[in-house]
Amino acid sequence: MTDPNLGQWGLYVHIPFCQARCTYCDFNTVTGMDDRDHALYMKALEREWQRVSDTPAGELVSVFFGGGTPSLVEPAQIGGLLEAVYGRGVRLAGDLEVTMEANPGTVSMERLAAYRQAGVNRLSLGVQAWQEHHLARLNRIHTAEDAVDAVRSARRAGFANVSLDLIYGLPRQTLDEWRETLDEALALEPDHLSVYQLQVEEGTPLATQIKRGQLALPVPDLTADMADFGQERLAQAGFERYEISNYARPGRWSRHNRLYWTMNPYLALGAGAHGYWHSRRWWNVRGVRRYIEASLAGEPVEAGEERLTRPEEMREYLWLGLRERQGLSRSRFFSRFGVNPEGYFGPSFRKLHQQALIERAGDRIRLSARGLDVANYVFREFVGDSTGA
Amino acid sequence: MKQSDIRNFSIIAHIDHGKSTLADRLIETTGALTKREMAPQVLDSMDLERERGITIKAQAVRLDYEREGQHYELNLIDTPGHVDFTYEVSRALQACEGALLVIDAAQGVEAQTLANLYLAMEHDLTVIPVINKIDLPNADPERVREELFEIGLDGSEAILVSAKQGIGIEEALDAVVARIAAPQGQAEGPLRALIFDSRFDTYKGVLVYIRVVDGALRVGDRVRFMANGAEFDVTEIGMFRPHPVAVPELATGEVGFFAAAIKTVQDTRVGDTVTLASHPAAESLPGYRPAQSMVFSGLYPVDSNEYGRLREALEKLQLNDAALTFEPETSAALGFGFRAGFLGLLHLDVIQERLEREYNISLITTAPNVVYQVRLVSGEEIRVDNPALLPVAGDIAEIREPVVSASIITPSDYIGAVMELAQERRGVYKDLSYIDSQRAMLSYQLPLGEIMYDFFDQLKSRTRGYASFDYQWSGYVVSDLVRLDILINGEVVDAFSVIVHRDKAYHRGRMLVEKLRDLIPRQLFEVPLQASIGGRVISRETVRAMRKDVLAKCYGGDISRKRKLLEKQKEGKKRMKSVGNVEIPQEAFMAILRVEDK
Repeated sequence: MTDPNLGQWGLYVHIPFCQARCTYCDFNTVTGMDDRDHALYMKALEREWQRVSDTPAGELVSVFFGGGTPSLVEPAQIGGLLEAVYGRGVRLAGDLEVTMEANPGTVSMERLAAYRQAGVNRLSLGVQAWQEHHLARLNRIHTAEDAVDAVRSARRAGFANVSLDLIYGLPRQTLDEWRETLDEALALEPDHLSVYQLQVEEGTPLATQIKRGQLALPVPDLTADMADFGQERLAQAGFERYEISNYARPGRWSRHNRLYWTMNPYLALGAGAHGYWHSRRWWNVRGVRRYIEASLAGEPVEAGEERLTRPEEMREYLWLGLRERQGLSRSRFFSRFGVNPEGYFGPSFRKLHQQALIERAGDRIRLSARGLDVANYVFREFVGDSTGA
Repeated sequence: MKQSDIRNFSIIAHIDHGKSTLADRLIETTGALTKREMAPQVLDSMDLERERGITIKAQAVRLDYEREGQHYELNLIDTPGHVDFTYEVSRALQACEGALLVIDAAQGVEAQTLANLYLAMEHDLTVIPVINKIDLPNADPERVREELFEIGLDGSEAILVSAKQGIGIEEALDAVVARIAAPQGQAEGPLRALIFDSRFDTYKGVLVYIRVVDGALRVGDRVRFMANGAEFDVTEIGMFRPHPVAVPELATGEVGFFAAAIKTVQDTRVGDTVTLASHPAAESLPGYRPAQSMVFSGLYPVDSNEYGRLREALEKLQLNDAALTFEPETSAALGFGFRAGFLGLLHLDVIQERLEREYNISLITTAPNVVYQVRLVSGEEIRVDNPALLPVAGDIAEIREPVVSASIITPSDYIGAVMELAQERRGVYKDLSYIDSQRAMLSYQLPLGEIMYDFFDQLKSRTRGYASFDYQWSGYVVSDLVRLDILINGEVVDAFSVIVHRDKAYHRGRMLVEKLRDLIPRQLFEVPLQASIGGRVISRETVRAMRKDVLAKCYGGDISRKRKLLEKQKEGKKRMKSVGNVEIPQEAFMAILRVEDK
């Protein structure tokens, strides 16, 4: 059986600039850089792309500008990079998805129209919460009103595909506030929603505030109530939960993120960006200045790599694939790895079946409703050294 | 060295009164080590000992001392400073003719001061009081002199010392020479040497630390251990200065060690007598008694594949620790492990820590317990060192538990608090006497099982740190004891069973399930926890089911990081023990210890 995804690939472009750093964020970001730095960085991205030795065969299905805050970079620079990417004879999918993350506090209608003009066709807006006190506490640079304006502007600028990011489980957040956030977000009629439980990452200001006792996360039961409420509310509103944290109207699944969960190849450009190709995963230097200097000097920007063994790749394929609501295709697994997953990982699958955490649906194995709640329990079966033959 | 120029002595003290510092100073002053060579407290040779500030294995150092043109050989025999090791202390004292009794100039006489003094008197030692830490701002040597008088010593003979500042060290050495008698053994008689310690050396086998009482020991001699008749050829003789130095012989009255390709310390029991196979002594030296474990605990590897490694590690530790015993044991909950016997709780702690630290074995230790004597209805007598093996109530005619006679010295203000604590621990009041106008000594009979865990901490906290405590084993008494079982998910977990007094069982059971409810993480399903006595449930709690366990996001740049996070979580789970389907963390098995008895 031929893998219908075979030969499809994506490109991730990291834009690390931010006006201010959110307290929970541990992504590779940098503040205080000016337009000249932006221009140098965009140049460095182009140079990195030019050094990618061969034009990948197959079809480019998605480009994703992630951040940081890509909307701090001028539309013309985004357009310029896209031209450079397409310019090397890359085969483009007919329905190529070009996503850009944007902060609602950084975009006007005109600017959004210019991004649309430059080729961006999907906008992902970081809304996070509706209450000013939460936004301020998280050090977000925008208001809820900015979010409303941004979505309206995006529509007028011609974006047919708009996604919003929301976070629950914020310090001191109540269930009512979360309900309000959801309702207001739904009122904006997005095409896609990413709904994340707040994760406290080591080394972030939030982690320090919590360690010092200045802030406390809601008790686990309240956070769980928020999660359950969100699932119900979004289902009622006609959104399909197609991945653990992602909801979409029909036909609006994120093409790009699906590449990650289905272990399709992707290239990556930019400081700290991660790529994956032919069982190899690599990442670039994180320092933005170092990245710029190295790339402009024509030097390698790669900082590290891991090569996945076949069993490692199989395990990753399983737990990443199970993040999707539809689960993973057994036949596709077989055509990729030459073994039947339930045979190869027999004891794990038997145990998970017995615990009713996974279920079969035709060709697919997927998490049960309970399995979605305790997905980490399932995934832990497929990491480390104790699974498989 | 002439026998008359030898002096053998120990330093005895209440904990923290400065014994090790004084020993260091004596070594330094006599030039056995230069200042540069001195690591603080050189006699405590195991790292663990130094870290914990407790001396576990006695050692001996030979000091050369010159007084008025006369050369003397002073042998300083170190003693362990913890009540777990009373027997070893007594053997070390038996090897001496005298002792420096160190008393803190600010703290004065404490419970261990007395216990040590009595022990020294039992062995007819000359006791030289040393009032230490006279440099402290709150030092009150005159008050201490008076206290000494109260306990039957001549305070005016006390030597004033600051070991820290090197004050009074010469005087102490002079007193050792002048006041302590030279050894009195029969130089011509058949060899009799007292074993006061031994330790295992990878290259030489067991090093046996001896005090030659009669006769002499030479390289090449064939020696016999009188307790078990085992014979070995002496390959090396030495003494410590404090580094080992080889010598051709140890003469009457001398202290040192020998090696004889002995494979395990089990052959070289502390307190035993060494004699010559060719010319044996008729009688062994008095006072030998085989080491006896007082406290037992189940030791289980967290990873059951490490059972073999655990056995090897215990065997290795046993080479150097005659008091450690262990036997294979199987627990329905924990799988294969060992029931190990210890001199006391500190001994257990040390062994547990060495297993984890030196042998890198992750352990589950069940709550320590004492040994119970049980008379069955059938008339049969059994001993129970594992609560899970206590027969059902109907088969038991009588249970007896070990008790100690304890002395507690406390400022008079806290007598009430101490009595209350002793009562809570089922103490039987024996006596109250006053050391001086401010301090009293209380005597109680206490069940060993009641003082094992936190009695000392409680005593300290209820007397603002002023009370001191010492105890001695005093036999078995009949007691109304029951077995308290813990059920997790409906099944008795044998490793949690404890034997408790009937009056405390209900409260203990309730506290225990509450504690476990907090310690056992949420599982996929709801887990009931119950405490029961004789099959009757007395308390119940529930660990509610885990509701959510999800990583919010996972995109391209996150994958390896998130995988590592999952791996780390999985490693954490591995350190838990799966009982039935319930994952129980290591610390839960020790929870029984930390349940407050109020």
